Amino acid sequence: MATTAPPDSMPASQPTYADVTRDVAATLGNPTKGYYGLLAFVITILLIGVGALLYQIRMGLGVAGYTPPVMWGVYITTFVFWVGIAHSGTLISAILFLFRSAWRTAVYRTAEAMTVFAVMTAGLFPLIHVGRLWYAYWLIPYPNQRGLWVNFKSPLVWDMFAIGTYFIVSTCFLILGLIPDIAAIRDKATGWRKKLYTITALNWRGTDQQWRHYTRAYLYLAALATPLVLSVHSVVSWDFAVSIVPGWHATIFAPYFVAGAIYSGVALVITLLIPLRIVFRMERYITTDHFENLSKLLLLTGMIVGYAYVVEYFMAWYSGNTFERASFWNRAFGDYWWATWTMIICNGFLPFLLWFKKIRRCIPALLVISLFVNLGMWFERFVIIVVSLSFEYEPYAMGHYTPTWVEWAILSGSFAWFFMWFLLFAKNFPTVSITEVKEIIPMPRKRAS
Amino acid sequence: MAKQMDRRRFLKVVGVTSGGAVAVGCSTDAPEKLIPYLVPPENQIPGIATYYATTCRECPAGCGMHVRVREGRAVKVEGNPDSPFNAGRLCARGQASLQGLYNPDRVRGPMERGADGDFQPISWEDAYARVAERLGQVSGDRIAFVTGNESGSFDRLVNEWLSALGSQGRLVFEPFGYEALRYANQQVFGVNALPSYRFAEARHVLSFGTDFLETWMNPVQNTREFAAGHGLNEDGMGRYVHIEPRMSMSGINADEWIAPNPGTEAILALAIANVVLTDHGDNAPSDVFRVRQLLGGYDPEGASGVCGVPAETIRRLAAEFAEGPSLAVAGGMGNQHDQAHATAAAVNILNYVAGNIGRTVAFGSNPDPSAGSTYRGLADLTQRMRDGAVDVLFVHGANPAYSAPTGLGFVEALGQVGFKVSFARVIDETAAQADLILPDHDPLEQWNDFEPRAGTYLLQQPVMQPVFDTRQTGDVLLAVASQMGGGVARRFSTQVYKDYLQNVWRARQNQLGGSGMPFDDFWAASLQAGGVYQPEPSRAPRLDRNVGQLSFVPWSGVEETGSGDLTLIAYPSPVFFDGRGASRPWLQELPDPVSKITWGSWVEIHPATAAEYGIVEGDFVEVTSAAGTAVAPAFLYPGVRRDVVAMALGQGHSELGRYAQGRGANVYNLLSSEPTEFGGLSHYQKVSIRPTGEHEVLASPAGKKRQMGRGIAQSTTFEEVRAGEGHPFHVEHAAEVPEKIERVLEEWQAAQDRERTRGNYAGEHPRWGLAIDLTRCTGCSACVTACYAENNIPVVGKLAVQRGREMSWLRIERYWEGGEDDEPFTVEILPMMCQQCGRAPCEPVCPVFAAYRTPDGLNAQIYNRCIGTRYCSNNCPYKVRYFNWFDHSAENDPAFAFPEPLRLQLNPDVTVRTKGVMEKCTFCVQRIRDKQNQAALADRELVDGEILTACQQSCPAEAITFGDLNDPNSAVSRSRRNQLNYRVLEGLNTDPGVGYLMRVRNTVEA
Repeated sequence: MATTAPPDSMPASQPTYADVTRDVAATLGNPTKGYYGLLAFVITILLIGVGALLYQIRMGLGVAGYTPPVMWGVYITTFVFWVGIAHSGTLISAILFLFRSAWRTAVYRTAEAMTVFAVMTAGLFPLIHVGRLWYAYWLIPYPNQRGLWVNFKSPLVWDMFAIGTYFIVSTCFLILGLIPDIAAIRDKATGWRKKLYTITALNWRGTDQQWRHYTRAYLYLAALATPLVLSVHSVVSWDFAVSIVPGWHATIFAPYFVAGAIYSGVALVITLLIPLRIVFRMERYITTDHFENLSKLLLLTGMIVGYAYVVEYFMAWYSGNTFERASFWNRAFGDYWWATWTMIICNGFLPFLLWFKKIRRCIPALLVISLFVNLGMWFERFVIIVVSLSFEYEPYAMGHYTPTWVEWAILSGSFAWFFMWFLLFAKNFPTVSITEVKEIIPMPRKRAS
Repeated sequence: MAKQMDRRRFLKVVGVTSGGAVAVGCSTDAPEKLIPYLVPPENQIPGIATYYATTCRECPAGCGMHVRVREGRAVKVEGNPDSPFNAGRLCARGQASLQGLYNPDRVRGPMERGADGDFQPISWEDAYARVAERLGQVSGDRIAFVTGNESGSFDRLVNEWLSALGSQGRLVFEPFGYEALRYANQQVFGVNALPSYRFAEARHVLSFGTDFLETWMNPVQNTREFAAGHGLNEDGMGRYVHIEPRMSMSGINADEWIAPNPGTEAILALAIANVVLTDHGDNAPSDVFRVRQLLGGYDPEGASGVCGVPAETIRRLAAEFAEGPSLAVAGGMGNQHDQAHATAAAVNILNYVAGNIGRTVAFGSNPDPSAGSTYRGLADLTQRMRDGAVDVLFVHGANPAYSAPTGLGFVEALGQVGFKVSFARVIDETAAQADLILPDHDPLEQWNDFEPRAGTYLLQQPVMQPVFDTRQTGDVLLAVASQMGGGVARRFSTQVYKDYLQNVWRARQNQLGGSGMPFDDFWAASLQAGGVYQPEPSRAPRLDRNVGQLSFVPWSGVEETGSGDLTLIAYPSPVFFDGRGASRPWLQELPDPVSKITWGSWVEIHPATAAEYGIVEGDFVEVTSAAGTAVAPAFLYPGVRRDVVAMALGQGHSELGRYAQGRGANVYNLLSSEPTEFGGLSHYQKVSIRPTGEHEVLASPAGKKRQMGRGIAQSTTFEEVRAGEGHPFHVEHAAEVPEKIERVLEEWQAAQDRERTRGNYAGEHPRWGLAIDLTRCTGCSACVTACYAENNIPVVGKLAVQRGREMSWLRIERYWEGGEDDEPFTVEILPMMCQQCGRAPCEPVCPVFAAYRTPDGLNAQIYNRCIGTRYCSNNCPYKVRYFNWFDHSAENDPAFAFPEPLRLQLNPDVTVRTKGVMEKCTFCVQRIRDKQNQAALADRELVDGEILTACQQSCPAEAITFGDLNDPNSAVSRSRRNQLNYRVLEGLNTDPGVGYLMRVRNTVEA
């Protein structure tokens, strides 16, 4: 555990241990009308999405806008988008933990929760996307009387394992980190919450032995989760890279996707933290310094992503491969030029603003930039998937894809699903880690007599 | 046939039996006449197909067919190999005849117009009584009977029946009437008949706007013979020049396309004839003196000014034409302007001076698809009807209410006829006006015969029980005659048309070489062969004495108010013929070979002209002639002249069932209703165009129109082949394999080979492969429809095609080359189906092994294992995998593709796919297994060429070869060793099982 912290990452006016417990517990107070209104809103959107999905299952995938040869569209785009979002959580909680970055303590819980919910959202999309959802379990290799087995050569099978592993590990990590906090709240809670916390606190009493086991377990899980940050999105990128589709078949994909994932994830953390901090009056704990650190991360990954764009185009040219060249020419100047330029401007140019300290410390500017980065990252996946597929080898078989209302409804539904979980979480569990924030506050001492 | 147990009846019986078993507990009504399938009907083995020979009646060409019947229902039609016309091949329209049989919009029983104006079902007996009563009331001269081309016993019956009624009101009406050609033959040779054209013997073909590969005469025979006469062989290669302001599908196959000023073909032909006669006149018959003076008036320089074709080109064409066995053809319906008889006459003279008459042009057999029909005949009848001179009108096999221009007023004239009887199988525009509809059997349910030319007697036999309560018109006429009694009834010795037919055949048995054998044997033998084929008589008429007096003027377009400065060419649709094919969903979904558009009409406009009018592709354009207006989306086509717009006939039906109704524009209505000098309809019209401001995405599967230098469809020139350089034009085609990864590839290949030694893969297996000769392929798309029929491919409809969701396992890709600025415009064509790759990119990416490789080298797709991730399609560079976006096989689904009774056509050997699964070409694996099993049962080896895929079997040009690539002596392996062989996108290391022989064009250095 971080024992020393740089002075600038501490809350501005030094809170006491008691302040921390009180302030964080206060976020779990009775929900306001606004909260219920918001929850009702997201659930409505979610239900519309569910309705669209049921309609799609009944009628067939044709109700989506698929236009062969574009066989993957908004669903896979959104799948990759949410998997990407999921990555910054683990980065902030596990990698920064291992690197002893004390500033993570105030933000990591939000990031972790976001990770779990994003994976839960992402995991739905391969199901939504397949033609026969009711047989999707055939992807799972288990001895069965059908005598079937899965094809381990297919990246889609790897994908399933990667996402599954990631979901399990990140969920464990989130729950483990929550235990001491839940125990702290348990002691104050009443009614059904008391029961909930009693169960989820796993009988935490804060003994030395429990702390010793807890910190070891946390460390090991962090160590286990760290390679996943790199591997999961690498595997997802291989969904594309192992194919022979021009625009997909590139060795740069794994690092490019991982950087992009963290980039989009950090952007969403910023997007979530800004309102959260205001609503929960957490300015003392989540400070502008935190946002500046996050924007530095955004800047770094943004630069990597921008570099990857340049390399992609360079390689397309340098390879001399007709099909690659044509594919990238089509990206920039073909029918989908608007999507490509949205992506390049949002992800390639916008992060340059973050070189300025003023902007890094300007919360409204950060909110705008992070929203655009999210938009840009969604379009990045759209461009990679849809635009590449629309322009492959056979000129006669090229086509133009436009999504339909069903896809937009399901896309919106996925955001609603994510926010529903996040809203429920934020009101029932501490979104700022009580334990870890306390660790960076100097020990309270009795005044010297 | 009639007594056999078919599947329908079998199921009925099973239903009744089980129903009876349930009912027996509470009812005493025991079901009667239960017939178990314990003793199967003779010749019916469940699971084994029976084949019946019959004749295709989808157009008047008269191709022989073998109908494949499984458990009592027709599931596939194939060409009859004995037929001298199609020799086992069949076009798309012929394939789609099954959808005439099983059309869900067929009239299901006799109907009469009720008091409220709607059709009400009545019984056949009532119907006969109504007709007999009506006929008893009117005098014979007030009865008229319109049929299509029925050159056989039915034709004779109609005439006898009418004469028994004292009527001479018989009219044969075929919209494609060949009036100009017959008129010109009369003018030049004094023969009012059509000759046979021997494309197989011609090495130089000159087509003056004649679509001989599409609808003209017998297109299947023409294609087959043209492919043989034109294709590359040991003696070199033929040459084909197409002369027409629009590049038709036939034009696409030409070595050179010349677009003269519209309507000046006659002058061009005469100029060529002039040069042939003066410079190369050795072959000319002695009586050419009759035209010498006439031709002298058409020197190349003068003609050049009229036609817009350079004089040196005319001289070159003449030199080529005079060189070898040559053939010039004219009289295509797409070129029938009001001076078309002049074109045909000029071409007759050209053929004559080149010595072709009697060699490649043979008179005597009169293969007239129109049976002497003229449009003027219809115009006269319409006038009589309008004058109230017709009380009873019978219409059979003709639809003048659709195919006569509105200006003729046929529909209004029908209103003046007291009693109108239609024998339509589907309510068409004419039947919709009728008072009584007596639905005829489908040709596949009929006994009949057909004589498409002298000496060829084709038979039709019912291949299955009638699908509906229809009756053959021959039987109806005989029944009505008997009901009328008296002299009319005494005229006929039988009441059954089959007997009538057999009496005709009994009378001609000796003449048809059946002398000495019992009639039943002769009859059975003739039925089995599909008819009696006698050698074609051949005569070479001499020039008419007055030929020198003929005058030739170019078509100029009648200047009328409202006409514009563009020329409309209304050409026959290679898909719908004159419009009768529009009720067939397979044909609606078949992309037009030129425009690749489905389910509608379009206006072909040159891109430069379109730019002038501010029209982009898909913009709706209003085409206005003096006669009418049509609206259709624009298709920008460099294959029309800038002063020409072209539209296909055949769409724009207001009736004709759900598939045809309200689709596209009826282009007949743009044509002047005035009969031309030769009695036909002018298919050229001056028009003006105007964008309407509306726009649609064309329902076309074609993505990009050009192949971007990728060498998908490759071509070379005969010059290069002769020099031994059959190399592709497109050098970027194959990516080089870098040296450093060669070793990796080899190791990987070794690992693959090791895999192939295990389990089912161990041992010797064939590797199935296909070879496609692009020089032979004309793009006619017969294979596409054959594939639909064989493999139960669902028809998806216009909206789905607009979204690129057609399921056509086999598609004909079309790529344009040149055509910009002054470059010559050519079109490349390539049939694309699953390439059955040796190293298939689709296989490793499937997570559930739905795509896998069989030991005999097929990329199998297991439908019920597929979960629909669609990764295989993404990874397929050829894009030949098709996904079931909707449930085309479920009856209660809006996308249901086989409404009753269409699904009786489904091939029981092929799975019908459900929604959410991927499908693709299987190389007709059911046919492979069938032949393998047959060979195994007979304990013999498979013979090369024994297995025919459906596409290969239908191909009129015989461009497709199937066989075992592991057998070095198989035809397909030999084709692989041809220097012209290439495989598409070979640089991707996919090792395709389909090889193409690149198209060879016999071009001339300009």
